[in-house]
Amino acid sequence: MKNEFSVVGKSVPRIDAYDKVTGRARYCRDLKLEGMLHAKLLRSPYPHARVKALDVSRAKSHPAVKAIATIEEVPKVVGYWWNLRTEKGMKKMFMQDNVVRFVGDPVLGVAAEDEDSAEEALSMILVQYEQLPPVFDPVESMKDQTIKIHERGNIAFHVLKEYGDIEKGFREADFVIENRFVTSKQKHATIEPIGSCIADYSPSGKLSVYSSTQLPHWSRMYLAGALGLPSSNVRIIKPYTGGAFGGRCGLIHGLELMCCHLSKKAGRPVKMSFTRKEDFEATEGRHPFLVELRTGFTKEGILTANSIKIVMDVGAYATHYIGVIADALSTGVGLYRIPHVKFEGYCVYTNKSLNGAFRGYGNPQMNFAQESQMDIVAEKLGMDPIELRLKNYRGAGEIDPVFNEKILSCGLKECLFQGAEKIRWKKKSRRSSRRGKIRKGVGMSCLMHGTGARFGLPDPASAIVLINADGSVSLETAAADDGQGNKTGLVQIAAEELGIDWRKISVSDTDTDTTPLDGGTHGSRQTYCGGIAVRKAAAQAKKSVLVFASKHLNTPQNRLDIREGVIYDTKRPSLNISLADLMRKIQIEDLSLCEQIIGAATGVAPSMPPTYGAHFAEVEVDTETGGVRVLRLVGAFDVGKAINPAHIEGQIAGGEVMGIGYALTEGLVIENGKVMNSNFADYRIPRSCDIPRIDAVIVESHEPTGPFGAKGIGEATMIGTASAIANAIYDAVGVRMKELPITQEKILVALQSFNPP
Amino acid sequence: MARVNIKIKVNGKLQELGVEAHETLLDTLRERLGLLAAKYGCGDGECGACTVLVEGNATLSCLTLAAHVDGKDIETIEGLEQGSHLHPLQESFVEQGAIQCGYCTPGMIMSAKALLDKDADPSEEKVRRAISNNLCRCTGYEKPVKAILEAARRMRGEK
Ligand code: FES
Ligand code: FES
Repeated sequence: MKNEFSVVGKSVPRIDAYDKVTGRARYCRDLKLEGMLHAKLLRSPYPHARVKALDVSRAKSHPAVKAIATIEEVPKVVGYWWNLRTEKGMKKMFMQDNVVRFVGDPVLGVAAEDEDSAEEALSMILVQYEQLPPVFDPVESMKDQTIKIHERGNIAFHVLKEYGDIEKGFREADFVIENRFVTSKQKHATIEPIGSCIADYSPSGKLSVYSSTQLPHWSRMYLAGALGLPSSNVRIIKPYTGGAFGGRCGLIHGLELMCCHLSKKAGRPVKMSFTRKEDFEATEGRHPFLVELRTGFTKEGILTANSIKIVMDVGAYATHYIGVIADALSTGVGLYRIPHVKFEGYCVYTNKSLNGAFRGYGNPQMNFAQESQMDIVAEKLGMDPIELRLKNYRGAGEIDPVFNEKILSCGLKECLFQGAEKIRWKKKSRRSSRRGKIRKGVGMSCLMHGTGARFGLPDPASAIVLINADGSVSLETAAADDGQGNKTGLVQIAAEELGIDWRKISVSDTDTDTTPLDGGTHGSRQTYCGGIAVRKAAAQAKKSVLVFASKHLNTPQNRLDIREGVIYDTKRPSLNISLADLMRKIQIEDLSLCEQIIGAATGVAPSMPPTYGAHFAEVEVDTETGGVRVLRLVGAFDVGKAINPAHIEGQIAGGEVMGIGYALTEGLVIENGKVMNSNFADYRIPRSCDIPRIDAVIVESHEPTGPFGAKGIGEATMIGTASAIANAIYDAVGVRMKELPITQEKILVALQSFNPP
Repeated sequence: MARVNIKIKVNGKLQELGVEAHETLLDTLRERLGLLAAKYGCGDGECGACTVLVEGNATLSCLTLAAHVDGKDIETIEGLEQGSHLHPLQESFVEQGAIQCGYCTPGMIMSAKALLDKDADPSEEKVRRAISNNLCRCTGYEKPVKAILEAARRMRGEK
């Protein structure tokens, strides 16, 4: 809010920019260890089968092959942090059997002197499969009693929540509308393909794993649990990461654990890197949703009831699923003040590659349904969609019914006003141009997305601040930076709190041996959760500095402060000493002290504040081809406080563009279990030429629990893009597209059956 | 397997190498010369992460056989810095915040360099086209496009 900050709120350049711009940054794929072997996976060609017999004898005799590990030795890791929470859960986390459940499910891994030999060895292996009947459609899978993907049935999780009295809500409504929405399996499509690691299992029992994981500390626990090692023996080192977006939020199916087993067997480091094709075919994607909404509202535009039913396609193994459906619940119930809501969700197994965490975590899917539905409600009432939102959104001071917590900051109204102004909402005559071949339209959507995962998952953050003898500062944090720039943000927070130049602070690499417990980079949480820990640690260090300074300057501690690296008496600024001078004295010169100032903080953030936002889109639809061109996007987000505005703009542009892909082109096409578009020619992500002008609007509502008022941003930026675009398409041509992606063909079909009123 | 002897100039330095007949330039740079800035993103010519300059032209090194560039001049991002001075493109990528994960950055900057070396004052449209083969999943292309236009201004000596 106030701008008395020295570095918070400034767009300082990223601390890793130099490494990245000179090509010095090393990603997992760039790393080599002495004596390293290369591994490849043999993957199932069938969507569902039992491995009856494996003959590896020929491969074993290949001179370059050093180890083979099979499905019978290497467990699959499922359940992730839901299971992490309890001892019993941890045991259930490691699934072991000889069944493959999707095309691409690993059967075994081979480690050899080089990749070509590993590949060659794979072709020498004989597998006898007993094919089992597969099921691909989640709705069928739910009903099917004969095909069991997992022993306990095909429904991984069912949730039913009721708020108020849904029937009463419908009775109070003047109108009730019902719609069904379908979303696609989007891939993270990080430019560094998902899936690269090196495991180095020393015979002494120490295991080092280089991995681009978003969750270094949880990965350490998973691996330690799976291998029966004390956590302290497992070290996760995270090099630079070429984008993550949730795709690296846990262990990668068939990757780290396989490499650990192979390395243990071979007694040498083992590296495995998936190809782009393997990434597309066999790593996690965004859960496809089928959402049925029944919404009641009055003629004044007040929502009275909402019934939400979701069937979510988990894929072959459940990794992230409860959290994903919980995020859909959170947004479906939390965003609008609807007194009577019924939410029912099914997470269902299918014989397709698994689905997991992906920017927004269940929210983009729900948002597409909900915000399309809101547009339909507004249409029915002849009301401006913004007005409908303003009448119904839940604002600051109200209680979020899902978390049962008071909302402390909400800048949604400002997002709506400022975003509308930017796109000149009022000036764009809606629906007026529904003539001619090329038609223009505008649309909008709203969103909320909680920061972090405090209400449901273990969500720790920690930081250590060390002040060195020359006044420079070492910040130790396990906060993984996948490219967002959160490490730079954390440096700014530490610098602001300490009163020093941000350039004097250096951040540790992300290494579990040298950094304290952190819940990982997910849930848009690092600026908030990590930031709170860093600020606390810095405050503690500062306090210790002032204790010494008070003695040294012979002035009461409460009169002292630090600014630009100088400790001074606020009442008599001429009484001062530089941080460097004081540190040298207490660390080195004073032989009776020899102390380093250490500030440390650990724990969970006090809240899980929602970030709010509004998306606006202007599109052009060619009624002859069905082609959509996005002409303009505006994203307005309430981030609490922008620690680094340039980073936030970067998140907004990146998120909006990912949202364009989700809206118009992206979705894996899976036929009989086989992915048909496992390359960038067939799976189209937006290119520089497809991108319209994008305006970022930053709203600062000041979150009282956040570091300097900040809350999260990363995920929010793509959550409502698809809904805004779909609503704009409707505005342009009058067809309601209820299935993602909204391809050219789908629009053409819809236009052909459309009879304008 | 057939081996081929080639002479190439990489970032101004002559390299005499024996390469496999089917070896890609990307592998030669990464595995033989330890130049790791050009990245593997797809191996299919569809992402641009492996872009380097061959005789000044932006080239997908994953689709180019090393044997085919015999006698040619290759530039990678490792060769852009002059002493301790960043190239204007590098400078403006840093300043404009055009980098996030950075995985696409070396390829994108090389595509941009190929453009600016030929056209000192390109339109935004041209810039967008020049990097249209460089996929970026993080930045939304907004800041990279701005950074390239800014670098062009600088290289023309404006401000
Ligand atoms: S790696 Fe060469 S284009 Fe993708
Ligand atoms: S910065 Fe991550 S792909 Fe471009």
